[in-house]
Amino acid sequence: MRRFLNAENKKGAGSRVSGVGSDKALAYLLLGPTVFVLFALSIYPLIHAVSLSLQITSGGITRWSLQNFVRLVSDQFFLAALGHTLVFAVVALTLEFLLGLALAVLLNKQIRGRSFFRAGLLVPMMLPTVVVGIIWRLMLNPNFGAVNGTLKGFGLNTAAFTWTSSPRLAMFSIIAVDVWQWTPFMFLILLAGLQAIPQEPYEAALIDGSNAWQTFRHVTLPLLKPAILVALLLRTMDLLRVFDQVFILTEGGPGFATETLSLYIYRTAFRFSDFGYAAAMSFVLLLITNIISAFYIRILQAKESG
Amino acid sequence: MRIQAGIVIASIAILFTVACQSNTNSNAKQLTLAVNSGVEGDALKQAAKDYEAQTGVHINIAEFPYANLFEKELIDLTARAGAYDLIMLDDPWFPKFASQQLLTELSPLLQTKGQSGPDEDFVPTSIALGREPYQTGALYALPYVGNSQLLFYRKDLFAKYSLKEPAIWEEALAAAKTISELETNGAPGGGKVYGYVMRAAQGNAAVADFMPIFWAFGGEMFDPVGRPAVNSYEGIAALKFMLELGKYSPPGYASFNADEVGAHLLQGTAAMSINWPAWISAFDDPSRSKVISKMEFTTLPGAKNPGRAEIGNWLIAIPRDARNKEAAFEFLLWATSAEQMKRSALRGNPPTRKSLFTDPELVKKFPAYPAQLRSLESSRPRPRTPLWNEIENVFGIYLSKANSGELSPEEAMNQANTEIAKILERGK
Repeated sequence: MRRFLNAENKKGAGSRVSGVGSDKALAYLLLGPTVFVLFALSIYPLIHAVSLSLQITSGGITRWSLQNFVRLVSDQFFLAALGHTLVFAVVALTLEFLLGLALAVLLNKQIRGRSFFRAGLLVPMMLPTVVVGIIWRLMLNPNFGAVNGTLKGFGLNTAAFTWTSSPRLAMFSIIAVDVWQWTPFMFLILLAGLQAIPQEPYEAALIDGSNAWQTFRHVTLPLLKPAILVALLLRTMDLLRVFDQVFILTEGGPGFATETLSLYIYRTAFRFSDFGYAAAMSFVLLLITNIISAFYIRILQAKESG
Repeated sequence: MRIQAGIVIASIAILFTVACQSNTNSNAKQLTLAVNSGVEGDALKQAAKDYEAQTGVHINIAEFPYANLFEKELIDLTARAGAYDLIMLDDPWFPKFASQQLLTELSPLLQTKGQSGPDEDFVPTSIALGREPYQTGALYALPYVGNSQLLFYRKDLFAKYSLKEPAIWEEALAAAKTISELETNGAPGGGKVYGYVMRAAQGNAAVADFMPIFWAFGGEMFDPVGRPAVNSYEGIAALKFMLELGKYSPPGYASFNADEVGAHLLQGTAAMSINWPAWISAFDDPSRSKVISKMEFTTLPGAKNPGRAEIGNWLIAIPRDARNKEAAFEFLLWATSAEQMKRSALRGNPPTRKSLFTDPELVKKFPAYPAQLRSLESSRPRPRTPLWNEIENVFGIYLSKANSGELSPEEAMNQANTEIAKILERGK
């Protein structure tokens, strides 16, 4: 392969023109398997899902209808699940970003034990989400869990701290667990971004007499923007489709207090066997994710071209 | 989208298995059996091995966790793929399968054996589950594991405070109050003993723990013409009573599932609960239990109506499109025979035959059997509708909301009623 590439490189511009046909053929050949897999696993299922969402079955007869989409608007469970998903995503994203940024800035400095902290911080992210869910479910158990046990040790009355069982605290609990697990991801990307910033702008800022905050605001942040946007984009997509932690920690409860859209879609499809309605909801979730992603990507591209 | 991809993959997987099966199954000396992973499925797997050794019929086992078994079976049966010759199913799923005519009627097969109907030895409430319509219709499944709910209580604490076994729910409430108030430091290792513990997590958990109270108070999910009626006077009274019991339950019970309830009972921090027989053996296991030989098991209390438990049986059925119906039926009869079911009972599954509940050897090993038989004989199925999964989900959400204090009992029942009506409307 290497020899082949070298040979290609050595060819002059003239010989390349004559080789265009075979290059193209090779390119298509190499892309073929990827396109096939993409088609089989993403494009076909997507088309199938859209067509499913446009069909309803009643009395054994299947017909085309917009009824699944009409139902979305009047389904209070769908609207509540959508609301929970958005609240969860916005709050968790904000916390993860601020904490991740603070940690990245802190551990970008020469401090004692830096490599220990850097490695240690990544542990939560490496655990399978289901394992994290189970660990936290045990720790947050109001009666036997480590969290209330510790608080009791400090002499606090923990009777009101029913974490995943209280409609008010349950959302907070699942956000806290997500922040615990995924802040390291933000940290990792932002740290890489910080380390890619050259020293010169800092030296210039120093000479101009800017203070630490001014340097951070006017040098670090603008230069870190691409990394920030990538981190936010990836986390947003992940947060919007959150499933495993919630499924393990609360299963959407108590009542419906922490039911997210993915959970409701899962239930609708596999417990209630209503694939059409589940497909309609999936489609809405896809749409929302795409709109938000497009927004980030636009900022990112504006930055690059500007 | 991921779900859709999942469905496509699942279908491909099924087609693939079917393709493989159609090659291997042609010699009729093979059967494929879908079972759940758990104690019930394990017993049937063991039985399948014994059967293979006895008869030479090779049995393939397709094992799935409880949560997936239903969807696997439904996809296979509705696709008419015929991948399974026998399926194990939880009784609430039965109306969905039977109403869509996805199962093989067993009476004609019984007649080829010279039997006019199923063995009289089966507990009537168990055999009734395999008929569509319930109790009176054609027979599509035989019961294999005979669970029904029991009231678990701490006999040592009841004796200590001279409380008698609760025959009605008011007595249970009074006992829960007494124990909660007086046993403030009586738990093993110190701490409070709660008088009662229940599952009020949304979904199956809350509904299962509520139905016996609901029925005892005179509630019915549907009125005689089939409209939802959970917000009746009786229904709301039953939910109010559940909240009263909740006052003596450990904090956070609105999100409890079986494992939290089990933990409280095993740790000795709760004194009473509605529970399933599968938990009984755990109380005598020194590595798990702090209340060895302190638990008693009895039938559920009544109120306006006599106490009736929710039944939860595992059934075995032959899919309509099974490839080897005769061979499958031979195995079905063999596995549900008294001799084989006794082996299953010894492996920890309550039987569905009267003769086994009174079998001296089994009663010696499982002292709760007499209570279990009384409970099973008077038990009720969950409301029989193909839409049960969806209805149970919604009902459970509102029960959990009432128990967590989010809604008043009236609001919860009114909203549940509206949502159940919508499900019925959609299902038409």
